[in-house]
Amino acid sequence: MFDKKLQLQDALFIGFCATLLVALKSMLRLKLGLTGHSMFLMCFFYLVCYGGVGRCGAITLCGVLAGVVAMILGVGKGGPLILAKFALPAVAMDITLMLLPSVMPLLWRFIALALAATLAWALKGFVGDLLLGLSVEVSLLKGAKSLFFGSLFAIAAALLVPSVLQRLKSHDLLHKDEV
Amino acid sequence: MANKALRFTSRAQRGSSKRYFVIDDPSWCAAALLLVLTLSSSAFFIDQTQLVYLCVVDGMLLLHGCYLRGKLMSLIKLFVVQLLVTCCLYLLMQQSDRMLEGVLAVCRLLLAAIPGWWLAMSCSPERIAEVLNWVMPVKWAFVVAASISLLPFFSREIQEIYAIQRMRGANISAKALRNPRHWPELVHCILVPLLIQLLKLAKQMANAAKLRQFDQRQKTTFWRY
Repeated sequence: MFDKKLQLQDALFIGFCATLLVALKSMLRLKLGLTGHSMFLMCFFYLVCYGGVGRCGAITLCGVLAGVVAMILGVGKGGPLILAKFALPAVAMDITLMLLPSVMPLLWRFIALALAATLAWALKGFVGDLLLGLSVEVSLLKGAKSLFFGSLFAIAAALLVPSVLQRLKSHDLLHKDEV
Repeated sequence: MANKALRFTSRAQRGSSKRYFVIDDPSWCAAALLLVLTLSSSAFFIDQTQLVYLCVVDGMLLLHGCYLRGKLMSLIKLFVVQLLVTCCLYLLMQQSDRMLEGVLAVCRLLLAAIPGWWLAMSCSPERIAEVLNWVMPVKWAFVVAASISLLPFFSREIQEIYAIQRMRGANISAKALRNPRHWPELVHCILVPLLIQLLKLAKQMANAAKLRQFDQRQKTTFWRY
């Protein structure tokens, strides 16, 4: 099982990334009123987690842990539903990772993962709007807006991650060569 | 081990000004979590005719939250922003006759948010973590507890790195960060040094835990305080 194989050091790194994501998100959300800016931090930390741990499943774990930490700290007002907000994009990224060819260049792989996360995030918003009772046209428009702005921020994060991983590697802190 | 870390967290917080929470018992906290999950989900799924009952329950939670000195500003901000966006979209789609639908949807969103807000006001974070320990594997409960207990450390590190980078002239002030062009600078000046610290810390903590035989035995051991 994935959980058994994962080293404690990697588990702790995933936990720290998840906590930092929640802490920074709660700090920045009051200052920036831009749609989709949360996808920047989310994609950045999920991709760094994948780069640091080098395993499929690390992103999902980071997403679930971020949801749990957000629930404990009372960030985001969503109560237990906040879990879905963090976990769904992470699961979408891991599923995409399994489908992508391993020979794909790292940057393009990260961009594809970021777009998959944004799609899941916008889809969650669209389904939520429909359940709340908004008309299909308005829900679609809101979903499209989230998808567009979210994609911009997610791609910006994906473009930054390879250079960050390179710097971590130069400090001899990445002990995995899979990525 | 996870409980040990949790106790450490609560002891560390006891030193500082400790906030009072009405629900400070794990069983009641589990019940509150279930209640919040049910109420938040109900806001999405129940019929319009039954919405009034949910309004009554959420109203009581709102009053209780206010009594516990909870700040309403975040809820008001959520409601106003969502209402404005939804009304604008209805007008844009030339569906002004169906505007009431949109207002009702925003009210449902507010009803879904109120229980979570109340949970944060009334339940102690340590008890929520303790309840989650019941359903999470020991290793992950330890990771969550260790991460949360290190939040003050993260915050101190961020403040120190931020102050030093600002002195070096980095464009990472709150005003500068309104422009997304400066975000790469934030990543390279703040997040990269922080990630380096986190990776080193994770390695040190894992080694310390391994030396104490963490995750080596089936039966979990606890440190008695």
